[in-house]
Amino acid sequence: MAQFEILAGGLATTVQDTGRRGYQAQGIPVSGATDLFAHQLANLLVNNPVTAATLEFMLLGPKIKFNCHTFIAVTGGASNPCLNGKNLSRGKAYAVHCGDILSFSPMAAGRFGYLALAAGGILTAPLLQSRSTTVKISLGGYHGRKLAQGDLIPHNECFQMPSLAFRQTNLTAISQNKTVNVRFMQGPQWQLFSTEAQAAFTTKLFNISPQADRMGYRLAGDNLPVPNKNMLSEGTVLGNIQITRAGEPIVLLTDRQTAGGYPVIGTIIAADLSMFTQLTSEQKIHFKQVTLATATQALENQRASLKKLAVEFKELRYQQPLGPARKAAPKITKLIIQNQ
Amino acid sequence: MLMYPYNLVAVGEQAMNLVFPEKIDVAENQTIQRIAKDLRTDPTFALLDAIPAYHTLTLYFDTQRISEAQFRSKLTVYLHNYTDAVAVTQERVLELPVCYTPEFGPDLKDVAAFAGLSIPQLIQMHTQNSYFIYMMGFLPGFAYMGFVPDQIAMPRLNRPRAEVPAGSVGIAGKQTGMYPVASPAGWRIIGRTPLKLYDPHAPLPKYQPGDRIQFKAINRQEYERIKTVDQAGKYHLNIKKTKEA
Repeated sequence: MAQFEILAGGLATTVQDTGRRGYQAQGIPVSGATDLFAHQLANLLVNNPVTAATLEFMLLGPKIKFNCHTFIAVTGGASNPCLNGKNLSRGKAYAVHCGDILSFSPMAAGRFGYLALAAGGILTAPLLQSRSTTVKISLGGYHGRKLAQGDLIPHNECFQMPSLAFRQTNLTAISQNKTVNVRFMQGPQWQLFSTEAQAAFTTKLFNISPQADRMGYRLAGDNLPVPNKNMLSEGTVLGNIQITRAGEPIVLLTDRQTAGGYPVIGTIIAADLSMFTQLTSEQKIHFKQVTLATATQALENQRASLKKLAVEFKELRYQQPLGPARKAAPKITKLIIQNQ
Repeated sequence: MLMYPYNLVAVGEQAMNLVFPEKIDVAENQTIQRIAKDLRTDPTFALLDAIPAYHTLTLYFDTQRISEAQFRSKLTVYLHNYTDAVAVTQERVLELPVCYTPEFGPDLKDVAAFAGLSIPQLIQMHTQNSYFIYMMGFLPGFAYMGFVPDQIAMPRLNRPRAEVPAGSVGIAGKQTGMYPVASPAGWRIIGRTPLKLYDPHAPLPKYQPGDRIQFKAINRQEYERIKTVDQAGKYHLNIKKTKEA
């Protein structure tokens, strides 16, 4: 198996896939990519199943040296990827060769970036059916930790990528609007909150505080009136917006604890989580309530956009290739006709 | 027949809470554990995960295989047909060795003073009954267990410690439990188990929600001996099975 080398770890670079499911009853967090959509997109670009492991990096990406031929794609935040000093686009597949060096700049927009590699992605040993890393409990991924200089990360060599030239997408756009709508569904404890608290939640603006990591984002803004009633701890769900005793909202993300005792006022819909997780602390958030039907439709639309892309890449395989082969083709055709 | 009224509450578009009456009750929680087990073993529910808690069961389903409406109606039918007839639950009681000394239990003296007991009396009271695991969370293998006698139910520290070592055993009000990994902790720490409760290479805990934990007092020599045996992977937890109607 081939290995690429980490020359610099970046801020918080970990191996992630779509998460470790089925063990939350034992207190084991799901983990997996924070921006699941960007992770899946990166995989599709290099012809992987969406469940393949990618490298997730936060704010500043790693510096990497490749030791073999393969294909890569970068998605997520505006990380300014460079290959041997030349700028690459996000959302596009590229060939890399032995000795090539991939580097990033601090993100101009967004928080989390993803690097996918062709032929099955990152191949650290799976644990409980997943390669995701949960750093807090040293679980999974690469020795359960963030990557650092000198680490050698296993992956497969790859020499062919069908319809390479067509493998690009504009679905990597990061919202830079000053105010964004984030859609949510009423949470299981919505009724515990006063009408004042409910109204404040849906009319006031919030933004992501500096206390933001893979476990969750604490939001800044006006504190909400909190229910008097204490509740018993219960299972947590991705995107839950819990309100602390002080009235601060915390949005639970992929490394969240599996159980929590704060009341949940709402749950961010799955289709908006990608956009939400990439917001900067300057962008204002307006929470907008939607129904289950809207949330379900939005998720289906998002899934359909990925599916459409995968189908397009597949169909383009059978179109005329670009590049030197295309120049040769008419000449060959001409020769054949002359000889007939 | 299901003995409890319930609600089904959507939590986002891909999960649902099954909510029973809000109380901490072993029989009610055993019903939740039983339902979780049934749904996990029936592939037609397309369940991705299930988190039993005190009075709730959080169910994640795969919306690419089952719609919310289908899941809800299947679950309703299941609950309607639920029967306790075969639910002669066999409880597992796992014996967990604990060394109760001031060295391992910085709050041992305070809890004894709170209870008006000597340290041996406190240890006797903490080990006299087994504790039911209602749920896990916070950390892998962190069990929410109850309940200790009121006399030793000392509230948590006003100011949590920055870190307690893995294996620390503590009391927080009526709850008692052990820290599987080193962690900040507000619980009153009264002892430590020599067993490795969390191993990142084999992360699943040896006990489950619905099991009981029986603490067993050991001395310092036994602590070291068991620790050595456990580290060699040769310690066998003493597990008893009880039958309860």
